[in-house]
Amino acid sequence: MVDVSQHELVPEHTVLDEEILEDVLEEYDIDRTDLPKIKRTDPALPDEAEMGDVVKIVRDSRTADQAVVYRLVVD
Amino acid sequence: MTESRSAVGAGGAPGNGYDVSDDVVAVVEDTDLPRRLKDEVYGTVESREDVTVEEADEIARAVEARYLDTRVDPLDPVGTVSAQSIGEPGTQLTMNTFHYAGVAEIDVTQGLPRLIELVDARKTPDTPMMTVYLEDEYATEREKAHEVVWKIEATKILALGDVSTNVADMRVQISLNRDTLEERMITPEEVAEIIEDSLGVETVQNGAAVEFGPEEPSYRDLLQLVEELREITFKGIEEVSRVVIRREEVDDGEEFVLYTEGSAFGDVLSIEGVDASRSTCNNIHEIHRNLGIEAARETIIEETNDTLKEQGLENVNVRHLMLVADIMTNRGEIESIGRHGISGSKDSVLARAAFEVTVNHLLNAAIHGEVDDLNGVTENVIVGKPIKLGTGDVDLRMGSTGR
Repeated sequence: MVDVSQHELVPEHTVLDEEILEDVLEEYDIDRTDLPKIKRTDPALPDEAEMGDVVKIVRDSRTADQAVVYRLVVD
Repeated sequence: MTESRSAVGAGGAPGNGYDVSDDVVAVVEDTDLPRRLKDEVYGTVESREDVTVEEADEIARAVEARYLDTRVDPLDPVGTVSAQSIGEPGTQLTMNTFHYAGVAEIDVTQGLPRLIELVDARKTPDTPMMTVYLEDEYATEREKAHEVVWKIEATKILALGDVSTNVADMRVQISLNRDTLEERMITPEEVAEIIEDSLGVETVQNGAAVEFGPEEPSYRDLLQLVEELREITFKGIEEVSRVVIRREEVDDGEEFVLYTEGSAFGDVLSIEGVDASRSTCNNIHEIHRNLGIEAARETIIEETNDTLKEQGLENVNVRHLMLVADIMTNRGEIESIGRHGISGSKDSVLARAAFEVTVNHLLNAAIHGEVDDLNGVTENVIVGKPIKLGTGDVDLRMGSTGR
């Protein structure tokens, strides 16, 4: 099987710790369900990610060098 | 927009690589600037020499003020601005479907049809294609590169030899070309076996000659078999009808790159010799299936940007395209803009009805007793209320403050 995370189109995905997530949600003043979603079956998702987890994605950005975004794992 | 937030770069101690004093680093790092702009400031300070800390601070503050100025204001209608910014140059796109892209002699849909195809999130593009990069020795030796080509390009019987029908004996006779077989690494035995498996007939193989016929002598069955024989893919990937091999310049020399007509991205990634970290495909759904939603988002931006660039419209700000891609991938799967996607899933009945198929939306809403909260733009324009954007969403409240 091909290691998807090695592809240059795929940014780094990491599962976010619950405490850090609290800070993030507070900073943006949103609920976790307001975050963009990612499917549980997504090939780029780390193995340990489960439904309801939030993954942190660090993209190489065209406008800001690096950009951090979050996605909620859904069914 | 989402990407205005920045994180400290991976390799980045602040001021890394620039000959500036710690005090300068301190004042610059104190600003709200993104990494790249901070680096820009370091570069400038370094090249001017003799810049005092006070001056550096002044520069940093000025850049910061300018940066904050260029950010989107609260309640700015970014979506509408993006729609206009893509829509206006869109009027200048060709409606001509075919035009080969770049340098490879492969036809790719360009201009307006391609842009529509992307935002409509069509299951398969009009002209699917892949760009396949190769690994190590496969990328530098033509022979090795060709090995990969044969694994990808669909090989039909007509490429392997001559087919003739012997009507007298009711037989299909194939005389295979030895050189071609050797080049494409397939034996006559394999050819015979594939024919048996796919057509369900007994074959007689003798050297480079293979022959078979229908069970019962029937002229119709015989012709039918020949038809089916032509359809069989003996080697390679069925979806890929043609592969073009090109030599391209890279930083350290040259490498062979394959361009394909037709795509089967998942299959190609697992072929030996294919660089699975760089190869791409113009079908956003295949990218989504194999690399995930983030890669799909990236591809949408890349493809829309390239389509506009190709037509000489490179001054559409990439942020608009990023917004489109963000919206299309927001729910973890690719959604189209338009009636069946984003616009069709709006909360407001009036907004949906205003977009397309007005009567159907109103009728369905009436049947289900839907309520419109009048929060969006369209519905407020319809009923003649101020829209909730910009100053329209700011309420003033009068009251007295305790002295």
